[in-house]
Parts: sequence; structure tokens; C-alpha cells
Amino acid sequence: MKSNKLLIAVLALVYVGVPLLLGANAYVMSLVIASLVIGGIALSWALLGNLGGMVSFGHAAFFGVGAYTSAVLSMQHGVPVFAGILLGGVGAVVAALVMLPVLRLRGPYFALAILAYAHIFRILATEWQSVTGGSGGIASIPRLPTLFGYDFASKTGNYLVILTIVLVFALVYDMIRRSPHGLALRAMHDSEDATRVVGVNNTLLKGLMLLVSAFMCGVVGAFNAHYINFLEPDYAFSAGWVTIPIVAAIFGGYRTITGPLVGAVVVYLVDQLFVKNLMPTGHQLVLGVVLVAMIISSPDGLFGLARKFMRKKDATA
Amino acid sequence: MKKATSIALAIMTLCAGAQADELLVGVQIPLTGPLARVGMGTQEGIRVAAEVFNKTNGKHTIKLVTVDDESAPAKAVAAVEKLASEGVVAITGGYGSNNISPASDAANKLGLAYMTSGGVDDGLVEAGRKNFFRINNTAGYQKALVGLISDLGVKSVSIIYSTKDATEGLATDVQKTLAAKGIKVAMHAFDPAITDFKPIINKVKLQDRSEFIAMVGYENDYVGILRAARVLKPQAKAIAGVWSLATPKMAADFPDLMPNVYGTAVLPFPVNFTTPEGKTFGETYKKLHNKEPDYLGQFGYVQSMLLFDAIARAADKGTLKKGGVIEELRKTDKQTLIGRVQFNAKGDNPNFVQRMGQHQGKQVVLVWPKESANGKPVFPGVPW
Repeated sequence: MKSNKLLIAVLALVYVGVPLLLGANAYVMSLVIASLVIGGIALSWALLGNLGGMVSFGHAAFFGVGAYTSAVLSMQHGVPVFAGILLGGVGAVVAALVMLPVLRLRGPYFALAILAYAHIFRILATEWQSVTGGSGGIASIPRLPTLFGYDFASKTGNYLVILTIVLVFALVYDMIRRSPHGLALRAMHDSEDATRVVGVNNTLLKGLMLLVSAFMCGVVGAFNAHYINFLEPDYAFSAGWVTIPIVAAIFGGYRTITGPLVGAVVVYLVDQLFVKNLMPTGHQLVLGVVLVAMIISSPDGLFGLARKFMRKKDATA
Repeated sequence: MKKATSIALAIMTLCAGAQADELLVGVQIPLTGPLARVGMGTQEGIRVAAEVFNKTNGKHTIKLVTVDDESAPAKAVAAVEKLASEGVVAITGGYGSNNISPASDAANKLGLAYMTSGGVDDGLVEAGRKNFFRINNTAGYQKALVGLISDLGVKSVSIIYSTKDATEGLATDVQKTLAAKGIKVAMHAFDPAITDFKPIINKVKLQDRSEFIAMVGYENDYVGILRAARVLKPQAKAIAGVWSLATPKMAADFPDLMPNVYGTAVLPFPVNFTTPEGKTFGETYKKLHNKEPDYLGQFGYVQSMLLFDAIARAADKGTLKKGGVIEELRKTDKQTLIGRVQFNAKGDNPNFVQRMGQHQGKQVVLVWPKESANGKPVFPGVPW
């Protein structure tokens, strides 16, 4: 009951408080939106890593395919932007279907194979000029529309949309985690062979997780394309779409649902708003040092650290 | 006591006046990430422009506010928004069409003029932004490369080009122009990620047998291609590249690869300015940065001086906050260190023509066009 009230208060704060407090500052709002984009990818990455037991270096493929799908559908086929964003997720699922054979691989082999797929999609986007515009990319991608008299293309509008997207994904993540399939997946994370012995279809479950994760990442990529209004292969399939969310997820605690989201927002905002102001160039160095320190001192991330701190406090009380 | 108060008041009024006259200009530029080197080079020129303007204008002073866009489109947008929130009257900088496109879009929404020399993709001027201005374009590089090839009397050319945005566009334009002149052209695209160019050079050597090799890529690509050419020794009579090749840095870093190589160049090396503005630029650059200026600095200087002049004119007319900077930039018609600059309705400079330089010994000699040349081309001449 108490936790429900806290959740409602937090949701009210992020939905109403943030636009009220920061809505007039386009710069800070754009950083918040960018951090939520990274949070969305981090969440999708963590879902695959946590529930599927697979470390992916290839989420840029889903992000890029989702972005291109939505951009092309809205620009060349007149699909409404919001429908395009959802279809971006579907596009990423189709891309993930092509990747299903890599589920036979484990550990670093899976990570490398999925990374190779991301590279393949980047080359496809570069070469398929008639659709993607080739290396020149696509400019003037339609912004979010005005619906019911509200301009979703405004900073606050974009914020509300990406916030809703990541919160819905967090909810889906939580539902999967609590389901019997989630239990099986978590057990599989610890011992794949043991779960197979008790009759769990590991490959099917891992495949489903890959598709769900791809859908989430694709939707976030599609949103980003309409937010930035520009897309080119190197940007859409950049390795940065994988590394920063991984850092964020590990920083926040990738085995939790809120960890990747909070990690992304904290890492991105602290870096851009504070560290960058102190060190205009080379500020990423600080993040690297903090990350190493975090992994050594608290491998479970920020939330693990907070729990440790609370336990110590209780013990001394 | 009264006298002291009036003096203090007068000083305060003067200070307030001076402060009111200080105009903030935003610099959105990559200082980290893959475009850091070119971003920093351009920023050096921008700083020189501010220094020269503040010393020579007399009435207005420019204060630069710089934000590193980290070579990333989302951060370029955030940088523009940050600069706008700090009250800048216009933006100069930008590098890479992928960063410039969303950043200039954001500036357009905020009603800020956006001036650059870092984006040659024609999509930038076709997008219909009213605030966008650039001093250089693909056509200027194409004119220089085609001009040199034509004047050397070459009959066949192999173009080796990166599939990146700007390079592919330039390579295709050069191909079309050369083909229209009756010159045989063979095209060889390569992925920006590759480092081994021997298979392509082998094709040039055994299949094309061209007289001239044109490289349309970036520094690492040139080095890879030239290394492969030194190994395989194709029978070409000359080899040329575009930006970032005919520079003293390349001569110093790769002395074995550069002899006789052509590249677009705004300046000869050692630098030799003949105009008063050029001399001022060169001296200020050396004073501020303790080194010889290069083409990036020169572009950064020219774009920023044109913008500062437009800002000053708009300030004089009291139209700074009513789109006056954009209006004044449209009226620009000036001889600059890179030639005459005007802006058409799309914000492009139709007069832009690059020059071609050639590495000769430890020097970069301007060899094309004749009116800008300070030496003759070594032809035939290759580094292998």
C-alpha cells in the first residue's frame, strides 16, 4: 500500500512536475528526452540480459531498423507518425527473426554474432539507396503530430511520449518477470542445463525474449528518428547506441527493472549537466572511472549500493 | 563628493554601455568524438575571427560561447538549445552534415542564423531552412578536381571513393562532369570501415590502367590507398585527393607517401598571405595558437567574420531580435580569404571554388587555378 502511494507520487512528479519545472528550458528538456531514449534502450538490453541471459552488443541493429522503418513508412507511404513508431518496433522484430539462428550460440559468441548482424544492417541501409537515401541519409523526417489540439512535437510533448513508452516497457518487463515464463527465464540464467532437464524450452523462451527486446528497442529508435528528424546509417547503427545504455544499465543495476532507466537518466544528466560543464572536453573519462569504481564496489549498481547503505544504517541503528 | 559620484556614475554608464554592446555568438562544434580534429581546427579559426573583429570593429565586441557537440546529432541539437538559452544572437561552427542538419533545424526553430563550413551535403541547402548559410559546397571541390584533371590533359581517371555521405556525392558529381568532357572514368566505392585498399588498387592497375587516380575520402583512407599504391605501383601519372590531404600535417606525418600528391588547398605551405586581411589573419592565428594556419582555421575564420559583420550591421539597425542577422547575411557580397562570398536563396555560396595544391618536397604548392598558383605542377609525378 505504502509502495503504491510512493509509485503514484513518483509518477505524478515525472509526468507533471518535470514539465512544470523544466518545460521552459529547451536545453534541459532535450537532455532529459535523450536520457530517456538511452533509458529505453538500456531497459530493452537489460531485459534480454537479465531474463534471456544473453549479453547483446547488437542492439544498434534493432534501434536502427526501427528508426528506418518508421521514417520510411511515414515519409514515403504516408503512415501516421505514431503508427510508424509502433511499426518501427515491428520492423525490429522482423530483423530479430533473421537473427534467431544466433540463439544457438552462447556467451561471447552470441555477443559477437549479434554485433555482426548490426553491421550487416548498417551496410544494407547504406546500399539500399532508393529506400534509405544511402549514406546521405534521410532529412526532414516528420515530427510528432498535433493530436486533440496538443502539439506532441513540442519538447514537453516529446518528453511525455518517450516517458510513456519507457514506462509501458518497464511495466511489460515487470509482467514478464513475474510470469511463470519469467521464472523459467531467471532459472535459465543461472543454469540453462538444469531448466532443460525440467522440460523448459530454452530456445523458444530466449527467442521470445529476443523479439520482445527488439520490439522495445525498435520503438525507441523510431521515436528518436522523429525527434531528431534526421537519420543516416552511421548514426542509426552507431555502436554508441549499445555502449552507453550498457554502461547505464550496469550503473543502475541491470538485474532490476528501474536500474537501467534510473542509471541512464543519472549517467546522462550528470555527465551532460555537471561533468561536461566542469570538463568541456574529456568528461567521458570521469564516467569511465565512476563506472569502474561502481563495478568494483557494487556490481549490482546504484540500487545495490543503496541497499547496502540502508542495511548498514539499520545495523548501526 | 558630488564630483566623485558623477564620475562613478559616468563610469558605470560607460561600463553598462560596453556590456550592452557585447554580442554573444554560439559556437556548436565537435571537440571530442570522431570529428574532434576537424572541429578543433575550425574552432581555432573562429577564435581568430573573434579576436580580429573585436580589435577592428570598434563599436561592437563579440563574445564566443562554445559547446562541444561530441560529434553526435542529439548532442548537437542540445548544444544549439543550450546556446539559445544563454542568449546567443547566432551560431557558427558545426561539422559533419549529420550533425549540422538537426542542429541547424533546431536553430531555425529558435530563429537563429546558422553559419558553417563543415557540411558539403547538398541536402542541407535543399531542406528549405531560412536560417542556414554555408561558405563552401561540393561543387567548389568538384570544380577544382575537374579543373586540374582537364588542365593536365588526362584521358582516363579512376575514382576511389568512400560511401560516406559527402564523399559519395562528390565522387558521383566528378564522374558525371569528367564523363561529359569525354574522359574515361572508372568508379571504385569502398566502405569507410575498410583499411586494406590493395584489392581496389589492383583493379586500377590491371583493369582500369588509368592515367589519374582521384581519392574521395578522408585522411585514413588516403593513407591506406597511398600505402597500397606504393606496394602495387599502378601506372598512373598522378594521384589526387580532396580535403585534408594537401596539408603540412600530412607532409610531416607521412613524408614517404606524400611526394607529388595533389589535394584541395586554400593555402600554400609555407603560408604566404598577400592581402592585408590575410596578413592580419595569419599573424593573429600564430599569436593565438602558436602555429601556422591551416585550411580548417581559414574556413572557420571566414565564416565567422561574415557572420560577425552581419550581426554588427543588424545591431546597428536594431534588428538583432527581429531576424536581422539572417537578413544581413542574405545581403552579403564580400571578397574573403577563400574568394568572393555571396549567399543564394538557399544559403549556399555559388562562387565557391577550391584550389589544388601539390606536395613538392616539404612544401604544398598551389598549382590550380593559374591565377592563384604559386608554382607549376610536377606531372607526371607519383609517390611510388
